[in-house]
Amino acid sequence: MLSELLQGIESGGFLIIRDSCSYSGRDLLKSFITAALNREEVIHILCFDVSEEELKDGLKPSDTKRLHIHNAYSDPLGWTGHPNFTVQQFSLEDLTNLVKQTSQPKPAVLVIDSLSWILRHKTPPAVCQTLQQLRKGGAVRAVIGLLHTDMHQRGTVGSICHLATSLISVAPGVKGKEAVARVTKRSKSGKVMQDEEIFCITEDFSVTILSKPSHAEHKTNSTEEEQADPTANLTFNLRLSDSELEAKQKLTLPFVFSKEKKTALLHPGPGSGRILYEPDANDDYDQEDPDDDLD
Amino acid sequence: MAAPVNSVGKTSADRLQANCTSFQKKTRSKLISIPGTRPSVQNGQLLVSTGVTSLDYLLGGGLAVGTVLLIEEDRFDSYSRMILKYFLAEGVVCRHELFVATAQDNPDEILQELPAPILDDVAVPKPVEQPRLTGEPQDTLDAMKIAWRYQNLPKVQSALASSSRFGHYYDVSKTMEAEIRQAAKCHRFYLPDHITPSSAAHRVESYSALLKSLQEVIHREGFDLATPMSKSRNILRVGLHSLGSALWGDDLCCHDKPRHSHALTTFLYGLRALLRSSLLVAVVTLPSHLIQDRALMGNITRLCDNAIALESFKGSERETNPLYKDYHGLLYVRQVPHLNSLARQLPDHKDLAFKLKRKQFTIERLHLPPDLSETVSRVSRGEPVGVASACGSRASGTKNLDF
Repeated sequence: MLSELLQGIESGGFLIIRDSCSYSGRDLLKSFITAALNREEVIHILCFDVSEEELKDGLKPSDTKRLHIHNAYSDPLGWTGHPNFTVQQFSLEDLTNLVKQTSQPKPAVLVIDSLSWILRHKTPPAVCQTLQQLRKGGAVRAVIGLLHTDMHQRGTVGSICHLATSLISVAPGVKGKEAVARVTKRSKSGKVMQDEEIFCITEDFSVTILSKPSHAEHKTNSTEEEQADPTANLTFNLRLSDSELEAKQKLTLPFVFSKEKKTALLHPGPGSGRILYEPDANDDYDQEDPDDDLD
Repeated sequence: MAAPVNSVGKTSADRLQANCTSFQKKTRSKLISIPGTRPSVQNGQLLVSTGVTSLDYLLGGGLAVGTVLLIEEDRFDSYSRMILKYFLAEGVVCRHELFVATAQDNPDEILQELPAPILDDVAVPKPVEQPRLTGEPQDTLDAMKIAWRYQNLPKVQSALASSSRFGHYYDVSKTMEAEIRQAAKCHRFYLPDHITPSSAAHRVESYSALLKSLQEVIHREGFDLATPMSKSRNILRVGLHSLGSALWGDDLCCHDKPRHSHALTTFLYGLRALLRSSLLVAVVTLPSHLIQDRALMGNITRLCDNAIALESFKGSERETNPLYKDYHGLLYVRQVPHLNSLARQLPDHKDLAFKLKRKQFTIERLHLPPDLSETVSRVSRGEPVGVASACGSRASGTKNLDF
């Protein structure tokens, strides 16, 4: 599912890459940027965490003209007199103006590196509302954000991720350059799909999916244990041999009724309370007056 | 059997459920007769169907008019949204009026996704298989040699049902047709239309705007109980989606110690006051898995009359657990109301699970089979969501406390 997401995010989508200090998600973010550039899309990047040079490092220089990087790294709070992009400008009107300034025909993809930085300076409800309006308004086609989960409280991370249509959580893998990605995708109809994949990022920021992590062995172990046989390990014999089984089937039980009687009893017809009497061998059914011997 | 009042016209033959009572209390109704409602057999309250018949059974026959049902959302808000849509669809079919308030999606999107009703009047679900009367060779008769009298009884009574249902059934795969939907009067409240969000908000203004809008609708359309009963009365069904989430401007879900912790509780208090004095029923969904402060969650639950919580298996490790393979999630009843009485009607089954089929949302008792294996495997309870520790210092507790 990671490769499907790399091939394109649907319009109005919001993708969040969640990372932690054990594995940085910035490489995966750059893979998404590279993939979008290869699809000839217009990309705007809000650069808070790292400098512009570091972000452009590794990306092909021919693509950088479709890439509009807004440097919010050097002066995010507007301490100098002329800041490039401040965190206060993260609101619907300012961002819409910013994106429209490039005057491209297609709506752009907005990449935010990183959302954590904005959350330190603006309240989470305000950030959520801005992100939701960005998605609903037409200026931006899709939003991709990087979120560092260990920088915030659980509720904050949960609230922001609640808005996302696709969520990728990355964690370090077992071997060196591998990483594990847990992908959750919510479609418009409300269906939720989840997947877990091991991937590795190459030099030119393309992602190779290696394999699924092996959870299968864990499951077979548990199913084998359930087949415990209760008749084993006893001091008396509870099992039946074949001849004993045959004899058991042949045994006539007392009170065994014929099939018609069974069906009649199971499905009472109209007028319930019929008495069905089949005289047994021991019964003395005398047609004469039964009270004769009562003198 | 006493003749029922306000029953949706059906014969007594339809109400066959062998194990439940078919008692109908005969009351001289001083209550106004409104379509789609019926008086409760327990205390005479006017009840309204939630659209899900198993949920009606859990709540004691239906949702009482003038009360609030709180639904704690599951992680991806799929099933709570489904129940909200059932509730609104039931309102359309019973010809009640609707009021939908959302902050995330436009109310029209929810209204367009309402499931289509199955068009018998009160549809009887798939009947218990009538045993064949003629003597066809059946394997089943030989299956039980000794206990053959019990063959036709179901193995386990797991479905919750009452003798007389008054809800409707809906087909989830189709959406309600536009003519039916537009016949119902619908009031919408979409938060971005009413409030321009400002980051320096000292109070959460969205809730007071919502309350004012609701009050205005009540006065204008005459749902107030105080207005003289000149024309026929109707019920207003209020659906509030995802209250308390960050999009309402509230930081309840964002911070461990929210600044505006009283905004939602004040709103719920005002909502209940409004509801008690008018012909309204409200269903509120709340993303409780994001709220870290359990004491606050307890307050919110107390302020609503009925409260249920949904936990879906999607995405948790319980999804692969073979015990739960037939179901989509667990349902917890957090609170049942005691309206005009001292005692509550507690449900007798605490382990409930739900599954969403195409034609029905069923809530059933969860039967755990006996554990015969040598190693007793403990089903892990999953991560506890923020257990408040005794000192109150950290809202999220540790997972496995081992001494």
